[in-house]
Amino acid sequence: MKPRLGRARALLAPLLAAPATAHAHLASTRLGDYYAGLLHPLTAFENLLPWLALGLLAGLHNGPAARWLLLVFPASVCMGAALSQLLPAVPGTSEFNLFSFVALGGLVALAKPLPAAALLGLGALFGLAHGYGNGLALPPGGNLLLFVAGVTTAGYVAITLTTAATRAFVQERFWAAIAVRAAGSWIAAIGIMMVGIGFTSQ
Amino acid sequence: MYYRRLDHNLALLATLAALVFMPVEAFGHAQEGIASGFASGFMHPILGPDHLVAMVAVGLWGAQLGRPAVWVLPITFPAVMAIGALIGILGVPLPLVETGVATSAIVLGVMVATDTRLALWIAAVIVGAFAVFHGYAHGTELPEAVNPLAYGVGFVLATGLLHLAGILVGLLIRWPAGEKAVRVSGGLIGLVGCYFLVNGLMA
Repeated sequence: MKPRLGRARALLAPLLAAPATAHAHLASTRLGDYYAGLLHPLTAFENLLPWLALGLLAGLHNGPAARWLLLVFPASVCMGAALSQLLPAVPGTSEFNLFSFVALGGLVALAKPLPAAALLGLGALFGLAHGYGNGLALPPGGNLLLFVAGVTTAGYVAITLTTAATRAFVQERFWAAIAVRAAGSWIAAIGIMMVGIGFTSQ
Repeated sequence: MYYRRLDHNLALLATLAALVFMPVEAFGHAQEGIASGFASGFMHPILGPDHLVAMVAVGLWGAQLGRPAVWVLPITFPAVMAIGALIGILGVPLPLVETGVATSAIVLGVMVATDTRLALWIAAVIVGAFAVFHGYAHGTELPEAVNPLAYGVGFVLATGLLHLAGILVGLLIRWPAGEKAVRVSGGLIGLVGCYFLVNGLMA
């Protein structure tokens, strides 16, 4: 009993110590931009949901393609984030990112195994687009290298955890694949509505 | 021992609460209203009893129909509902939305109460047609939400969880008493639908 209690307290302590309004001061510390980049995609549904969908999709695939994706996706995110500084005004990237909800969520709902090239191609394409969108959020005067490293880490952690969890989840339980497909359908549904919002707000 | 476990649970609860209330608005992108947008979207299907019972009925009926309907319906419903929501977001008028929602509760309730086993495609067409009305009703409110994306996440999640609740309750049909209980629930759902239909027509 004792160690579990200790763990809960240990978990609680940093949260209590977390400054409520002081995020801004991170920018003035040396590693601030790394954490800003790390948290940026993880604190927005815009990135989190399509990344989750990509991880679910990869987790439904057997074979090496899903493992390669764990490298291809963060590498593409990294390239996309770096690219945003070279070409800061590519039109339509945020709409394309909304489309990724529908495409990736829909593919999870359909649960049709994709050829390795298609899975990796999708990962690279949406990685570039999402990396690009995150790269644009680099705070003025921020350190590009640290920020991009943060965004890339977020991409690697998100895709690896989701893919691995999905693989472990669907292997044992007959209903798990159905639950994963339903989750894909939910993400696609959210995407369909957001594409609609995107059209009406223009 | 008991108190220690309580202490442990309290600590976990406090951790969760702290996570929920962690400020997220301090990052670069505009995340204002993410919590209230999510909450209003999540509560929208739950606070409308006609929506609520109809969604539970989808799950109950799916469980009665068995495989593959029990998983085809929850997977296709959100996508079809989103198309209804899209019609609402684009401002295309759809007549008799509230009547459609109330009727869906009646029809689905009757299907569950009578344990009607239709062919999968007919069941899918019925549920799909009603999904459009449900989506439309939620979708018209989406552009006004403080954070439309968070609203959308909330209402899709709530709808999916209501289906899941219906399916889990529907698993009772393995036992004779449970099967009766499910059918009685269907009857009650139909009555709720009747109430909202009459209310809507009188208003």
